[in-house]
Parts: sequence; C-alpha cells; structure tokens
Amino acid sequence: MSHQLAPAPGSTTIEVSLKIWRYDADTGEKELKRYDVEAPDWVTLLDVLDIIKDRQDGTLAYRKSCRMMICGSCGMRMDGAAVLACKTRMWDIAQSGHVPVISPMGNLPVIKDLVVDMGPFWNKIRAVKPWLEPGYDEVAEKERIVSQQQMNVIQKEALCIMCGCCVSECNSMESDPEFLGPAALAKGMRFVGDVRDQTAVERLNDLNSEHGIWDCTRCYFCNERCPKGVDPRDAIAKLGAESVKQGIDHDMGAKHAKWFVHSAKTTGWLRETELVPKTQGIVSAIKQTKFALDLARHGKVPPPFPPHVADRVQESRALYNLVKEQGRDGALGIVQGEHALGRIEFTEEAGMKSSDPEIQPGVEPPHPEE
Amino acid sequence: MKKVAYYKGCLASLSAKELDTSTQALAPKVGLELVELEAVTCCGAGDIHEAEPDYYLHLNARILAYAEATGADTLLTICNVCTLNLRQANWQLKNDDALRERISTNLQRVGVPPYSGGVEVRHLLWEIAEGDGYELLKAAAHKGLKGLKVAPFYGCQILRPSKILGFEDPDRPWSLERIIEACGGEPIDYPAKIKCCGFPIIQAREETALGELIQPIEQATEAGADAMVTPCPLCHLSLDAWQSKLRAATGKDFRMPILHLSQLVGVAAGLEESELKFKRHVVSVKPVLEKLEV
Repeated sequence: MSHQLAPAPGSTTIEVSLKIWRYDADTGEKELKRYDVEAPDWVTLLDVLDIIKDRQDGTLAYRKSCRMMICGSCGMRMDGAAVLACKTRMWDIAQSGHVPVISPMGNLPVIKDLVVDMGPFWNKIRAVKPWLEPGYDEVAEKERIVSQQQMNVIQKEALCIMCGCCVSECNSMESDPEFLGPAALAKGMRFVGDVRDQTAVERLNDLNSEHGIWDCTRCYFCNERCPKGVDPRDAIAKLGAESVKQGIDHDMGAKHAKWFVHSAKTTGWLRETELVPKTQGIVSAIKQTKFALDLARHGKVPPPFPPHVADRVQESRALYNLVKEQGRDGALGIVQGEHALGRIEFTEEAGMKSSDPEIQPGVEPPHPEE
Repeated sequence: MKKVAYYKGCLASLSAKELDTSTQALAPKVGLELVELEAVTCCGAGDIHEAEPDYYLHLNARILAYAEATGADTLLTICNVCTLNLRQANWQLKNDDALRERISTNLQRVGVPPYSGGVEVRHLLWEIAEGDGYELLKAAAHKGLKGLKVAPFYGCQILRPSKILGFEDPDRPWSLERIIEACGGEPIDYPAKIKCCGFPIIQAREETALGELIQPIEQATEAGADAMVTPCPLCHLSLDAWQSKLRAATGKDFRMPILHLSQLVGVAAGLEESELKFKRHVVSVKPVLEKLEV
C-alpha cells in the first residue's frame, strides 16, 4: 500500500500546484518545473513536497525533519520570501489559483534543488561562541537560581531554531558575504544578555569587528522573515546599546550612532554636516572633499553654523539626564518595549489572554542580594 | 480638510528642503491641513534606538506628546525612518500602560505635555494612496505625467517590520504604483523596489552600502525607467547623491533622476519650481521635465 496523506474526517481535498526550481550543482543544470497534486485541504508546503516526492518525482531534494516548526530544517523560499515549509499552509494560495515559485534560500550556496550548503551559516554561529562562559569550572554546591526577569532579557533570542530564513534575505550579507548576519548576531546577544555569562565585554569586543553588528543595514528583512519571533534586528540593536554602554565605540557605526544622541541633546535636530567627520574621522572626511563639494553645489551640505536648533531643546537635554539617572540603559531600553510589541502578534483573536501575564519583560532584574 | 500634526524630520529641514517645500505646497491639494511641530527633535533615525534605546523612546514620546497637544489625531511623517521609529515607540506606549505612565511622567518632569496614546503615525504615502486623499489626488493631478515611466522605490522602513508598519503587504506593495497611475504615469516593476538602499551604513560601511544601492539603480535603468520615486528622504539622498560613486565604481553611466513622492505628485498637480526645487538634486531632473514639457 502506498503512503498517502489521508484527509482528516470531514475535510476535503484541494488541487495544489507549485513551480519548483530544480538544480544540480554537479551538472549546473537548472529548470523551473511545475507540479500539480491533489492533497488534503490542511496541507502545508512541506506536505505538498512530500506528496510530489512520494508520487511524482523521487529525485526532488529538500530538507525536513520535525514537521512542526522546531527543528529548523525546511527553510526555503516561496515567491522569493524565506519560509519554513512546515509552517506554510497552502489552502489560501491554492484557492486563489496562484502557482507559487519555490526556490532555495538565498545567501547560501545551493547543493541540489531546495537544499543549500549550511556550512557558511554554521561557521558564523560558531564564530560567536554559542556556549555559556560562566567563569567557573567546578559544579557549585547549591543551585544558582536565575530569575524569570533576568531570562526575559534574552527570551526572544533564545527562541531561534537556526533555520536560516533571516540570513536568506539579509541585504547586507548579499553585499558583504562575510557579514556575521542576523542569526549569528542574535545568538551572540543570547549570550551577551545571559546573566550567567562572565564574558559579555569580550564578546561585545568581538562582535564590534569589521563584519559585526555595525554592518547591519537595518533592512528589517530578518524580523519580517523569522518564523519564531526572534526579531534579529532588535537583537543587533541590543548589542549596539550594550556596546555603547560598555564604552566599546571604536567602530564608525558606533560613532555614527553616538553623534545622533549628541545632536538630539544639543540642537535637537541632526547636525548633518558634522556627521561625516564625527563618524569617519577628519582624515577620511577630507578624502571625501571632492564628493562633498559636489553635494554642496546642490545644497546637500547645510552649513553647520548657525546650527539648526529645535525650540525648547533644553527639554530633550533634561530628558537625557533623567533617563541616565533611571538606569535603563543598554539592552534594557529595548527589552522594556517587547511586552507591548508582543501583543501585536498575540492578539485576543488568537486566543491569548488580554490580562497582564505574571512575567513582565522589561522589568529590571532584581539584584542577586535582594 | 483633515488637520494633521506635521513632523518633517531632520533631512527635510536640512539637505532635503525640497521635500518640505513640495509637501507644504501639495498638502492643501490633497486635503491636508498641516500643523507644523516646532518644539520637536530628531526621532533618532534608528541610531539612538541602537545607542541609547531608553532615550530613543523618550524622544519619540515627546514628539508624540506635542502632536497630541495640537488636537490632531494623526501625526504626518514624510520619511520612512521617522515613520518606523515613531510607530514603534507609539505601539510600545499605547500597549503597555506601565511603560507609558513612566515615560509620560518623565516628560512632564521636564516640562513636556503628557502623552495619552491618542495619536496615529501615518506617512504621506498612506494618506494619498487611498480614501479621500486618493480621490483628491486624482483630481489634483490635472497636468498628468504623460506616460512617464516611473520606477517606485519603497525602501525598507515603510514596509518592514510589517507588524509595526502594517499598511500594505511588504512583499507586494501597491501604494506607489497606484499613485503613479493616478498621476498618469506608468509604473515600472523590478525586484529591488522593496530592498535596501544602503543609507544607514553609507558612512560606516560605504562599500557594503554601495553594493546594495546599485541594485535598484541598475534594475530601474535596465527596465527603462525615466525616473525613480521614493517616499523616503534617506533613500533619496543615497539614490541621488551617491549615484556618482556608483558611476565611479562600475564605469556605468547611471543618470537616473530621483523624485521625492511629494515632487512626483507635485509635478502632476502643477506646482511651481520654487516649491519643487529640482535644482537641489544632484542628478539632473531636466530630462524628466523636458519629457513632461514643464
């Protein structure tokens, strides 16, 4: 008896069509092939691939394992957007008559059909030392308790299943293949923010390298694609904030970011013309003189004097001082907003309680002696 | 007329003044009464979010508070980055009472009005892509674009993350195309229209940024566009001002005129050069104006 996906009681079958990019790295042959199958109405993209492989074409290659959004094996692109095949229901698409194009993830070499070489991905994960450095070797005599509030700081980063969907569409990585990228940097934050890790400063120094956090172009494709709500871009921002907090600001990206802070508290508006020397240093800025003069001819280099000062700018300066007193600097400034942002995804319609959960992300972790 | 609090942001006050003047001139024609916010600061452009995130939240709360104090229920933005920063802060403040209370209290301690969460942040693009704004736009664009081939460039932070922006499908946006058509132009399709222009890292990582910037410029050129249009002054600056660096790096003679959204609609609506200020562009807009016989 052949292996068939039986429709659930009461369910119906649907016609699903896909166009799949077939590719063989050995021969270099490439072909967009269409497949039409009849399937139960609850099928996912992964189920459809299984049906095709089982009944129509055993040579189709793709990765899978758990079928339930936890192993991270079945990342691929549907109509150019990275998805987990097992999380993608086909009902709406099949009903619309649209025939989606299925292709392998981007930014990674393709081996065969929908299978990519994850080697470069794992190398970058390895580079951020994805293990805890607790600062002791021997097992303690009693348990070291970590509070829920302390773990909330890295709650989202810990959700990563390393599927590569974020990396697939990373715009910076397309341009700089050596960029550590959203998955590895989110993993980096998962350890930088872990209260048990004793090497945060060392880690931050490493992540402030040429292809590290300041290489991120803030395209937000990673947040858009992540199937688990990790929001890698926000993790990268947390790393930036932790770096600035620790005084690790040698990178031009950090200097650039700090100039915005300085502008906001001195004139309110960005001090645009001074941004280049403040970011790149005077020498590099002078090398850009010809380019700058060309821009200046079109009014693109506003004179820094007199500065463009916002009304009541003393308020933004006072706010800065107040904020510094309250001590929510570094990653906590972002973590405190995650409770609210979470509600966008987990609405009442989705069956979640609207009342405040017991656990409050963003609440400052209590000190150990308390 | 719909009264909106107008937040023009840094660039429209500085290197992209043409964006401000064209927006101010266009607004009444599309039913918007702008109440300009004077006592506001930079939104932080994502940089303060990355360096001092708690300060970022306070600065944006302050902008929202002054917008609320005007009595308008909409804060109008004309920049993608301002839109994301303000909407992100607004979501956090609206959906977390404890957080809003802390920050609103802090605002009042330094003399800023409190913020109760009563403002919606909306980009000009969204105001004129549907509803009354769209109907008025169609009527206002009487001069038309005479079939001008326009490549829409959305940029990132008006599309993603969609849970915060949420106006349209971030992979299949339609608003710019709809506006181009309503103005009598022909929208050009190309894959990089939803990708990054590289601007946020154009100073710290110029090479990486240029590798991103070339995609939309090259694709729009190859697709035969007469011009590109963008709703973001940061995208505008990299597409327009950094094109010369693409020429130097590739040896290709890119000369793609880049229009702000308000300029594209403004031309169709017959605004004057004193309002459109095309002379402030680095890449000449002259070929477009000749085609339109302006």
